[in-house]
Amino acid sequence: MSIDLLLALITGAALFGVGIYGALSQTNLVMIMMGVELMLAGAMVNLVAFWRYLHPDNPAGQMFVLIVMTVMAIEMAVGFGVAIARFRAKGSVEMEEAVELKG
Amino acid sequence: MTTVLILLLLALGAYLVAVIETWTITGRFQLAAPLFAGIALLGRESIVPRKPDRIFFEVAPVLLLISAILAAAVVPLTPDLIITDLATGALFINAALVYVLVALLMAGWGPDGAYAMIGGWRFLGQLIAYAMLIVMPITAVVMRAESLLTTQIVVSQAGVWNIVYQPLGFVLFFIAAMALAFLPPFDLPTAKGELAGGVEAEYTGVRLAVFRLGRLALIITLAAATVIFYLGGWQGPWLPPWAWSAIKILVVTATMLLIGRFMPRIREADLLAWCWIFGIPLALLNIFLVGVLVLVLP
Amino acid sequence: MSAQTFFIGFFGLAAVWFGIVVFRTFSMVRSALALLFSQTALGAMFLSMQAEFLGVLQIMMMATEMSIMAIFMVMFMMDPGGLGEMDMTHQKRLSLSAGIVSFVAAVAVAVFVDWGPVAHTAPDAAQQTVDLGLELLGRSMLIFETAGVTILTAMIAATAVAIQPATWRSKHEH
Repeated sequence: MSIDLLLALITGAALFGVGIYGALSQTNLVMIMMGVELMLAGAMVNLVAFWRYLHPDNPAGQMFVLIVMTVMAIEMAVGFGVAIARFRAKGSVEMEEAVELKG
Repeated sequence: MTTVLILLLLALGAYLVAVIETWTITGRFQLAAPLFAGIALLGRESIVPRKPDRIFFEVAPVLLLISAILAAAVVPLTPDLIITDLATGALFINAALVYVLVALLMAGWGPDGAYAMIGGWRFLGQLIAYAMLIVMPITAVVMRAESLLTTQIVVSQAGVWNIVYQPLGFVLFFIAAMALAFLPPFDLPTAKGELAGGVEAEYTGVRLAVFRLGRLALIITLAAATVIFYLGGWQGPWLPPWAWSAIKILVVTATMLLIGRFMPRIREADLLAWCWIFGIPLALLNIFLVGVLVLVLP
Repeated sequence: MSAQTFFIGFFGLAAVWFGIVVFRTFSMVRSALALLFSQTALGAMFLSMQAEFLGVLQIMMMATEMSIMAIFMVMFMMDPGGLGEMDMTHQKRLSLSAGIVSFVAAVAVAVFVDWGPVAHTAPDAAQQTVDLGLELLGRSMLIFETAGVTILTAMIAATAVAIQPATWRSKHEH
């Protein structure tokens, strides 16, 4: 097992952990989205590391990273759309105030 | 060795841009004026505004300079005179130049001043307008060259220069490059007379000198990028390659600066509307036309 | 230790450190730009893992994305400058333990799984770009097209959600 692969996987795990902390602990929609971005970034590191150290001859590994980047962009676009609508309706995007979402 | 030479040439180019800019604005050709202006700036007091975001305030001018230099690293002046011939060179130029936006945002937010902040956020709007018009014409250029290598792009124009092959792309890229270098008429973030200098407003002394140097380096880099993408780079009859590169880059720089001299500043909303309503469909049409040409012509 | 290992470790550390800074600073613009530098460090890490196209793409895309994020932070946060040092968190202990548990679990998987033989060489950058292009427009074309259509859908949906409703306009603009 190579030390490079291990380093990359640990980085991915750490980014994922930080992202989960952020997504759960922040009260603001935009900050929660930042947490989600960090989690996706962690996934992306793992994909690149797997491509490089396990299957360097298979370009499909790189394609997965492109798909994750697409997901990040989509998440941003839809998230900000929702944030604008919510801000216009309620005057804030604080998630503590969004109690009407509770079933 | 090549790196040092290119950096020296970049510095010389930035100096010449300053001379040309004075010439286009005042009509006087003063070879020593930028030197004196630079010395005066270095000697002046470097004031830090009250309650700044110190990190952003200090980093912004340096980041502007670095992004221009990084973009210049993949621009070939002769077949051998290039710092690094990256396999993704045409994409790398974009990647480096996006950090101009980050630098201007930092310069806008950092000093805690109203004019600076308006200038910084304005440039974000400007990016939404010009970004696609930088990327899409480059896509068409890359399609013809069948490679992202910048040297390969120049070689692909041996027969016909891209300005003839895809004139639409050239016009769009030229406009977008001017917007990216925030030259007039697209000087929304600095907007002399309206925002009192905008992002530059709170900078003085050494920091302003670095900021201006970064902007000059950015202009010369973009002119060089235009030359390698559309004007056949170092290619040309009779003269040696380096001479053709130098002549073309200086002509493009002078054209960029001269156009701004005779145009009123464009409003933010108009710029966004025109770029998205006319610019992007035209850029897509350009990609389509180039695709057809690439398939039809041998 | 090879240069590659050093750079992977260095940029990985930088990415994680900037990722932590995102949630520890009070200034919202700093927070957004810390996320940007975290992603840029990741891009540099991709470069040191010889994935040149992906690294450059990551560095390019994230700069725009995170700068746009910065303006939304300033628009929607109550204290964008961070001078009030407002606490914007809740359920701290739960989230901290969730973060640590997921980190430890992922590291345990990374350490204890036998990944099999490790490849020491990767194709050179030009070859990679060619391969990726052929992959995208060959075997994986359907997936790639789906991603493109999804982005178009997301753009339309986001615009539709965010656009100013006529009733709101008549109420607020007399």
